[in-house]
Amino acid sequence: MLENYLPVLIFMGVGLLVGIGMTAAGLILSPHRPDREKNSPYECGFEAFEDSRMKFDVRYYLVAILFIIFDLEIAFLFPWAVVLDSIGTFGLVAMAIFLGLLVVGFIYEWKKGALEWE
Amino acid sequence: METFVFYIFSAFMVLSALMVISVNNPVKAAFFLVLSFFASAAIWLLLEAEFLAIILVIVYVGAVMVLFLFVVMMLDINMVQIKKGFVNNLPLAVAVAIAMFATIFFVVGGESFSQSVFTIPDRHGADYSNVAELGKVLYSDYVYSFEIAAVILLVGIIAAISLTLRRRPNTRHQKIEDQIAVKSKDRLQVVKVDAQPRKYEPAKEEQK
Repeated sequence: MLENYLPVLIFMGVGLLVGIGMTAAGLILSPHRPDREKNSPYECGFEAFEDSRMKFDVRYYLVAILFIIFDLEIAFLFPWAVVLDSIGTFGLVAMAIFLGLLVVGFIYEWKKGALEWE
Repeated sequence: METFVFYIFSAFMVLSALMVISVNNPVKAAFFLVLSFFASAAIWLLLEAEFLAIILVIVYVGAVMVLFLFVVMMLDINMVQIKKGFVNNLPLAVAVAIAMFATIFFVVGGESFSQSVFTIPDRHGADYSNVAELGKVLYSDYVYSFEIAAVILLVGIIAAISLTLRRRPNTRHQKIEDQIAVKSKDRLQVVKVDAQPRKYEPAKEEQK
């Protein structure tokens, strides 16, 4: 089975070489004359007025957490789709219960307004 | 060849895990954690657990680490403040670390991971599908744990919503259903006004 993944390994090796090679070539070959203006952060032509670290709304986390949960749901769907013809009705019913439970969560989320961006 | 690949990815994993706890910038630490997840996915792939390896990349690298980076990039952490007292607390920290390591080592020491406990799994041919093998047992023998996973995800949804959802009634936003349901008489009011002939009044000339 592992021989199927040899191209992936070669691809990773080539990617690593290209990435390191270009960065190294840039470091070695390019002229390096920094000054204060070049090193200052550039913010669309005006002076930077704020630190990039700031407190922000917790709703972004809510969206990300809900995304992760449904991402995991998709992860359970992949092997099910591969073996669907060999597990038959039992597997179909099992997945129906699984999805039914998550649809309960989805309806809760919808009705609660967690998907609204007010 | 496989041993060689295993040692390369193990070295990547251990080194990047070391970097996670030693670099100053938390964003860089998060990226090293991504590298360590990638390396462990490659090691799982060497064990022919291809489904787990790909799910590790999709779920952990794709979703969880995005959330981590999100948090780390936006939190206002003052690194100088955190570093304060590092030297003073170092002996205590080292003592706790040694105590924890010793506990773990004596309870689940090297013997528990030796090849007599975990035999090397059988190698399979090119047409072997780990996803199909997993699916065959997951939806028949382990169907109960599969449904429990759904319940845990449901609990996760409800917990995330009840912990973080805040109503904010003062913000201005569109209510699309109200806009669609509006009738013409809600917007336009026709007022009856009796028609009256109006006298023409010439404008008075201003007198100087």
